[in-house]
Amino acid sequence: MTARWRYIMVEAFIGLRRNLMMTFAVVLSVTVSLTLLGASLLLSDQVDLATDDWVGRVEVSIFLCDDRTCPAITPEQQEELRSELETQEVVAEVFYESKREAFERFQELFSDQPSLVDAIDPDTLPASFRVRLENPNLFNVIADQFSAFPGVDEIVDQREVLNQFLRFTNVVRNAALIVAAIQLVAAGVLIANTIRVAAFARREQTSVMRLVGASNWYIRLPFVLEGVMAGLIGALASWGLLYATVPRVAGNLSRDIELMPFIGAEQVILVGPWLLIAGTGIAAFSSIVALRRFLDV
Amino acid sequence: MIRLQNVTKTYKRGSDGEVVALKDVSIEVNKGEFVFVVGPSGSGKSTFMKLLTREQIIDEGELWVAGKNLGTLRAWKVPVLRREIGYVYQDFKLLSNKTVYENIAFALEVIGKQRREIDRRVPEVLELVGLADKAKAQPHELSGGQQQRVSVARAFVNNPRILLCDEPTGNLDPSTSVGIMKLLDRINRTGATVVMATHDQHIVDSMRRRVIELEDGVVVRDQSRGVYGYGS
Repeated sequence: MTARWRYIMVEAFIGLRRNLMMTFAVVLSVTVSLTLLGASLLLSDQVDLATDDWVGRVEVSIFLCDDRTCPAITPEQQEELRSELETQEVVAEVFYESKREAFERFQELFSDQPSLVDAIDPDTLPASFRVRLENPNLFNVIADQFSAFPGVDEIVDQREVLNQFLRFTNVVRNAALIVAAIQLVAAGVLIANTIRVAAFARREQTSVMRLVGASNWYIRLPFVLEGVMAGLIGALASWGLLYATVPRVAGNLSRDIELMPFIGAEQVILVGPWLLIAGTGIAAFSSIVALRRFLDV
Repeated sequence: MIRLQNVTKTYKRGSDGEVVALKDVSIEVNKGEFVFVVGPSGSGKSTFMKLLTREQIIDEGELWVAGKNLGTLRAWKVPVLRREIGYVYQDFKLLSNKTVYENIAFALEVIGKQRREIDRRVPEVLELVGLADKAKAQPHELSGGQQQRVSVARAFVNNPRILLCDEPTGNLDPSTSVGIMKLLDRINRTGATVVMATHDQHIVDSMRRRVIELEDGVVVRDQSRGVYGYGS
């Protein structure tokens, strides 16, 4: 490290240490805002993951009896049900999903949770007809007509479940984003103020530097770096916080809700760079703005 | 070295009030000259000094310092200009948390000079100002005259072509002032152009150098080997 850079780093650290309380407040507020930002980004990931999984699927599942809940459907009943379904005008396509296929899809869906997969017997999951409708809103026509059909266990409109889920997660995500944005602005103002205090405390030194012809960036960089370091610490803290909590929460949820896959540690790691960029970016921006008027030549 | 051509500088006061600090001033200072700038408070002395370091920007006319046109000089090039100029203040402006040596070295460090060059140059100027034995002292342990010597050493350590002194003896007693003037004279003899704004009649009269007198923003006298004026 050259003498120049050593000076800049040393000055930045001196500034951070001299004003420990302010530094703490800055780090805390950056941490809070970025944790919220990270949480909302992860929620988006979660929604995308679940939606991707669901979008390719048919709208209506007709689960077939297999002796667990009702007397098993006979091959004749099954054939009759299929041909009956195919004659319906509202039905676009009918797929049959055997127990085997249901299990394979389940395995794929929860491949990251082997314990869950192991706990399920290949025979547990019911076979079903998966029906795509010409008009998904006509779910009731199918439900009314086939729920009493012999060998039919249950008819589920997955679209409705999906929509409810999406509505809920969108509200939560937007709320988190708004709070994160407000917090981020507050953090920026706090950083700007801290940097201004730091620059004021060292005004004699900076005026001498200007006087002897130190370049602008050389005068400002210690202050900007001071802000960026606080932002970076806050970003790392929020990353760590998310890493420590989110995979655990998602793990717990996935035990209760088997309908969809959940995000894990991998997504939390991927969100980290964004947090670092946001944290250092907002810190650099507010520091530079704070210094623009204060340290002009 | 310094050339003002019909320079006017006006300060805005409040909504529409204006104060003319310098009015159509033309001055030329050659390389190696020693110039006193005198005049009562508010005559435009400080404005004149601030224009030379581009702390203020001229409104009209043309101003050249060390070969640079300050009217068109880009903001990012101002530091380059200031490395050609040493500046000595009335109140020294030494950093209290640094030793004498560090104060002088600081001026070189922040313009990116190598450690080797700093360690060679700082003892030289300390020798020049007669404070070689005070290198490790803190500024508050020194007398006013010694502090001003440190300040001169800091201004001169980068071998500037121009030394600007703003009332350098304003806080010093007469006998100490004489010592500072001898030092400035010695620096002037090394080839540096010295411009000194002052109120100190005795010093101006004893040095017999060029005197530029300002009054209400106008040059009222420009005299080589002059005296302070006002009936003396």
